[in-house]
Amino acid sequence: MMTVIAWLIGLSLFALMAILVVHVLVALLLIVPSWRIFERAGYSGLYALFHLVPVIGPFIVMAILAFGDWPNGEGKPAVPR
Amino acid sequence: MMGVDLAAFLGLFGLTSAFAAIALVLAAWMCWRIADKAGLPGWSGAVAILLTLTGIGSVVSLILLWVFAFMRWPRDGAARVGAIGGPTATPPGAAAGAPTAPAPTALALPPVSPPRVLADRRGWSLAGGGVTLAFDDGRAAYTLTGEGSGTAGELVVPDPSVGRPHARLLTAAGRIGLEDLGTPGGTFIDGARLLPSHGPRDITSVRAIKLGNVELALSRT
Repeated sequence: MMTVIAWLIGLSLFALMAILVVHVLVALLLIVPSWRIFERAGYSGLYALFHLVPVIGPFIVMAILAFGDWPNGEGKPAVPR
Repeated sequence: MMGVDLAAFLGLFGLTSAFAAIALVLAAWMCWRIADKAGLPGWSGAVAILLTLTGIGSVVSLILLWVFAFMRWPRDGAARVGAIGGPTATPPGAAAGAPTAPAPTALALPPVSPPRVLADRRGWSLAGGGVTLAFDDGRAAYTLTGEGSGTAGELVVPDPSVGRPHARLLTAAGRIGLEDLGTPGGTFIDGARLLPSHGPRDITSVRAIKLGNVELALSRT
């Protein structure tokens, strides 16, 4: 019985680790371009790490970019031709 | 019992579907705003998100995110002085090791129309912070600095927040450009921060620039 429980716990931990690794890998695919977008907008690229927050992370990132005032200017070309 | 389970399952499914729909609309709205801020049509951001509704899934949205991050944004489309035939030489007063913009390449630059050479041959003046600096296109480049070192082409703005040197003014064909040299005080064009990575920006039509804490009004003399 104990062997079965230990086996189940081990399997659960393995599944948890696998989910975590996949989550971080997927987050990395989002963090790299988001880091650049934040820097081009004038923010610190560290904001892109919000992608590591499960489920709502990308929404936090989008909200910062969508509703914040970009320090480097936004909309039309910053300087008229 | 089976019917209750099925109802609960369907209820949960309906709830998650509602959340998914709200999340999708919210994401599309935010991406609309983000694309708009980058100077792109807002609908392109929304469409990028709504593509997840199609059979191709969210992979395309991910690819579009990468494209958006590394593409040229229309917001950055201000004419570069270098692109209109302006000077790129480093003036004598520029600090050694100061950050410089990467040389514009054919890929990085938008297709530019033939340069519009202005007939106006008047000079310019920068006024503010207790000083008035007059200059013309007699020199290809001027250095804006907080302290003069006796080098020709220096425009001195005596203020502790202004770097030594702080920025570079470039003149070409009746137009004027500004390039930040990476000082902590920062350079601003009509309130927007100019970074060294932006390279020279055309400020011919700009009314005010800011060096550190000093606001300077740009006008023709």
